[in-house]
Amino acid sequence: MASEHAHAHPHGHAPHTHGHISPISLYITIFLALMVLTGVTVGAAYVDLGQFNFLVAMIIAVFKASLVVWYFMHVKYQSHLTKLTVATGLFFLAILLGMMLIDYTSRDFTPMLPPTSPDGVIGTPTTAAPAQH
Amino acid sequence: MSNTVAHADPHAHPHAHAHHPALQHHFDTMSQQKEAAVIGMWVFLLTEILFFGGLFVAYMIYRVWYFDAFAEASRRLSLFWGGLNTAVLIGSSLTMALAVRAAQTNNRKWTVNWLVLTMLLGCVFLGVKVIEYEDKFANYEVPGANYNWVYHEQHAAAEGHAVEHRPLSQTPEQLQRTTQLYFSLYFTMTGLHALHMIIGVGLMLVITWMAWKGKFDAEYYTPVEMSGLYWHFVDIVWIFLFPLLYLVERHT
Repeated sequence: MASEHAHAHPHGHAPHTHGHISPISLYITIFLALMVLTGVTVGAAYVDLGQFNFLVAMIIAVFKASLVVWYFMHVKYQSHLTKLTVATGLFFLAILLGMMLIDYTSRDFTPMLPPTSPDGVIGTPTTAAPAQH
Repeated sequence: MSNTVAHADPHAHPHAHAHHPALQHHFDTMSQQKEAAVIGMWVFLLTEILFFGGLFVAYMIYRVWYFDAFAEASRRLSLFWGGLNTAVLIGSSLTMALAVRAAQTNNRKWTVNWLVLTMLLGCVFLGVKVIEYEDKFANYEVPGANYNWVYHEQHAAAEGHAVEHRPLSQTPEQLQRTTQLYFSLYFTMTGLHALHMIIGVGLMLVITWMAWKGKFDAEYYTPVEMSGLYWHFVDIVWIFLFPLLYLVERHT
């Protein structure tokens, strides 16, 4: 609530709190949504969507995580500075994951030595997916 | 709701509560103090996000390299226990949110009650994790010298259960090695997650005791809210771990 809250109680001496109080019904709703989405994730895993199984699972997980961050962790009611702090963390996580994926998907774009170990299992792979063939 | 940063204006609250006993001398107002705590906690959680992020990166690389091994090994986890634990943890997030709400509304009794319930659900989660780990040890599925990929199937066959599985692109000898990568990541990620939960329960023991002693009121409940942020973060980690570890590939 931060500073605005000083003006939120025109009668001045209302019980003071420095946070937004969400109704219990909102928490129950978020809880139920999270439970339903868990069921949806499990159900979707049993449907053959090819490459999209992983994508669907991750989209649902990101959505669930967003609900927790936004409502359970009260980020919705925090200041811009707090929201920016949260966004910064996600930004750096995106860099971490994004740069890694760019690296590992683009390795085969340039000529590289073939895998050295014939059975291609754990070792020092020189290219992606040594054991898949 | 406010989108303004709490500013240092000691005159915003000219009346008595400017001298709340929990107000530290280096803060001007309770809301400024709370804002600082919230941002500080989030900065800590950011380091946690990147800490787990490194493990997720390792997981992604090996999953791409050895997808079939991950798909096979993932089926050795019990979807029942994993799903139950997901529900338990989401439930504990609800009780934690309600504990914070009870503190916000000056309800000492229910702050304590919801915190105790949250700890109990956390312990249920850890108990289920013990059952799951025990099953991995019993089936020689813990990476190391005693790791035995085919034991589970042979054991099931000996007891008359046929084990169905997808067409394998790797020989059992290859799977013996590649599936250990999956289980190494499984134990590291769930183990670190469980460690965070143990720490979370420990935190809550202290917070519950403080709440019991009446240290919090509607104006000062920052420790309850901070442990709540931590607990919800641990919940979020599990929200990603569950599909990544238990649901690599369940169709076919």
